[in-house]
Amino acid sequence: MNRRNFLKNSAFASTAWMVPSFLQGFSGLPTYQSRSGKILIVIQLSGGNDGLNTVVPYRNDIYYKSRPSIGIGKDKVLRISDELGLNPAMTALQSLYDEGLVSIINSVGYPNPDRSHFRSMDIWHTASSSSEYWSSGWLGRYLDSDCQACQSPHHALEVDDSLSLALKGATHSGFAMSDPRQLNRTTSNAYLKAIGEQFDHHHHEEEVAYLYKTMIDTQASASYLYEQSKVFKSKGKYPKTPFGKSLKQVAELITADTDTRIYYVSLTGFDTHVNQTNKQGRLLQQYAEGVKALVADLKQHHLLQDTLIMTFSEFGRRVQQNGSKGTDHGTANNLFLIGGSLKRPGFFNAAPDLSNLNNGDLIYQVDFRDVYASVLEKWLDADSPKVLGTRAFRGLEVL
Amino acid sequence: MANIQHLYWRAGFGLSPQQWQEKKDWPISMAIDDLFLAAGKKVPVKGATTTIPKKRLSDEQRVALRKENEKKVRKLNLDWVYRMGNPQYSDLLERMSLFWHGHFACRSRLGSLATAQLNTIREHALGNFRSLAQAIAKDVAMIRYLNNQQNKKKQPNENFARELMELFTIGRGNYTEQDVKEAARAFTGWSSNLAGNFVFRSFQHDYGKKTFFGKTGKYNGDDIIDMILERRETAHFIATKVYRYFVNPKVNASQVQQLANVFYNSNYDISRMMRTLFEADWFYAPENIGVKIKSPVELMAGITRDLNVYFRDTRSLLFLERSLGQVLFNPPNVAGWPGGRTWIDNSTLMLRLNLASYLFNNASVNLRAKDDLKASSRGKAFKRLAAEIDLEPVVEMTTGQSEKAVFDTLCSLFFTQKPKLDQQFIHQQIKATTPAEYVGELTLKLLSLPEYQTC
Repeated sequence: MNRRNFLKNSAFASTAWMVPSFLQGFSGLPTYQSRSGKILIVIQLSGGNDGLNTVVPYRNDIYYKSRPSIGIGKDKVLRISDELGLNPAMTALQSLYDEGLVSIINSVGYPNPDRSHFRSMDIWHTASSSSEYWSSGWLGRYLDSDCQACQSPHHALEVDDSLSLALKGATHSGFAMSDPRQLNRTTSNAYLKAIGEQFDHHHHEEEVAYLYKTMIDTQASASYLYEQSKVFKSKGKYPKTPFGKSLKQVAELITADTDTRIYYVSLTGFDTHVNQTNKQGRLLQQYAEGVKALVADLKQHHLLQDTLIMTFSEFGRRVQQNGSKGTDHGTANNLFLIGGSLKRPGFFNAAPDLSNLNNGDLIYQVDFRDVYASVLEKWLDADSPKVLGTRAFRGLEVL
Repeated sequence: MANIQHLYWRAGFGLSPQQWQEKKDWPISMAIDDLFLAAGKKVPVKGATTTIPKKRLSDEQRVALRKENEKKVRKLNLDWVYRMGNPQYSDLLERMSLFWHGHFACRSRLGSLATAQLNTIREHALGNFRSLAQAIAKDVAMIRYLNNQQNKKKQPNENFARELMELFTIGRGNYTEQDVKEAARAFTGWSSNLAGNFVFRSFQHDYGKKTFFGKTGKYNGDDIIDMILERRETAHFIATKVYRYFVNPKVNASQVQQLANVFYNSNYDISRMMRTLFEADWFYAPENIGVKIKSPVELMAGITRDLNVYFRDTRSLLFLERSLGQVLFNPPNVAGWPGGRTWIDNSTLMLRLNLASYLFNNASVNLRAKDDLKASSRGKAFKRLAAEIDLEPVVEMTTGQSEKAVFDTLCSLFFTQKPKLDQQFIHQQIKATTPAEYVGELTLKLLSLPEYQTC
């Protein structure tokens, strides 16, 4: 028996008994198809990462004038173009960049930007405009609309204890799991399994049936993911932090050919109003080293061609530093795409224009929903207007 | 009996064992009178005050002040959940206030402003909707949340005016973009001062003519609200929301119309509409029973009544709110909590189903709530739900009953609609040796059923 068949069978064996027979063969019962399509990993930098000190315009006088004490010196930046260089803490990312595995899109944002963390994150998660309030996330709506072949809830997996709005759809949602063993323990409560077996779909009110179905699906996914998490143990050099552990988890699940197409991971702490330099440096180093280890694992298993890592933050920060050696909430920001199948490695567009600001903030050049449209169309084979609610976003030539 | 549970779950947060014993055989009309009578005895929430500093603050002082205020809002939040879970407070008043809190959704970070807003809502929760809307338009927390501070004659900010129409009163499709612009002008200068009081800044107000809903005049904000409420669509919009919240997320058009008519014809008397709703035969129809997924706060208030829960450490309660996705005074956005199935994902559902057993066992819960975006790093996982429960009343009310009878009694106490699982099946899962233990274990088993998540 080859590994793939073994996995399929063991997954089935571990879940079939708890699923009422009438449910098998239809509805949301996971069929554990082997991975055929591509994999998307979304990395969220929470708190508003300062993009100008991440990708530094080291030849720009306005930059240095605006940031007398936190500007990163020409001699320190990791130069990757004639104008732009990476934060010195990101040597790990520089090597990926040099290999042609990174696309950087500058000045990504949206019209009438909101400077509240919560609201702006909401906008990025739901892909609404800044004047609309949507209650479902863009990846959740992807699961709702285009993902007929992927009915199991762990098709989109957030490595966390709770699920972000981005992964919540109207009818389908992603799956949250930080520690497979722990999750399996909490879901494999004998009583809950027994009542799952007793459940008879035809005799229940709709909402109750929905809750039972979610419970049974959760039990099945938890036990499947727990089995999957044991298949392959990475020896990669991941940062020994929760973020590093999460990326390692992702690498291990992908390598084990898990039936998950979207992974979602967050790194928190970018709200650097005070003494930014060291704080941001530590986080960026963690980010870069984590991603490098992940890429190395994927490359080793010839999976990098099938993987795309997208990194975003809810907003960038003001061009002018504040009085506390930090920066306040801003607007447009850079966004990274990393993977083995990029159409345009390097810089997608020009450096942000620091001479043309709106109230001291960058003016966005690329709408983030155009990036989403590209990811949906070119990477996930989805019909992006179905997810984004409009044909206005045609995508970019990046993938 | 089932009707009484249904009524008290929708008009309040269920019944404690003692309340249930007292009220289970009441005629519905008597229960409704009782609910409204108790709600009439409004006691304002004792407020947190905020000292507004006169001079400019250092960064450290600012952070300290922010933390102090976050603590005050947290206390207000937890006190409120305590009232919802505690039979000595008015079920209906707390329930209506929670409804309006979700309707006039507003994030408040200042303890004093959050308190003032909650008291405004309590004052009008069962009063007149016009007065409520007018008071909210002058509510400082809302003014700040929706940027009416920045709404000035020279540079109007449309945020409040837009949400007033889109979310608070008449709903999309009943006004034009031009109406939004003109309404915004009418609210210019509605602002607040440093002390946190409403002020009308006449030099920022646009006294000119506005054309709104096809009429032209020198309207101010109150005029705009009046003109919006003149439209029957507004009564219909609110009645629809009330229906979805109190009756069934799936709307029955003629029943909603009935509510809307009462609301409009009574000049927006909230009590009148709610009485009509609770007195309607259709409210008790089988298709409307047990069809709502409890919100996290409803779940916690309900389980607090059922088990007489006492949280020794209020952080436990806050942890549950955060993990389950409903922190009071902190809605996701101005549209409020979308509710229904959006409460449910794999992680919230498992926490909900395990909640009773965590409370029974003072169990450690190895979960992290989602981080605050301002957090400097990952928070610690929450270790222990420090809470006490009291099973005495449940044991007492079932003393001497057969196992079958105990099952029936507890089902009618805990559910608005009896679960489909048969008694024998649950009986087999129980290992207890004494009758008291049996009741305890059965309670735990019933509260762990998915059915317990609905009302």
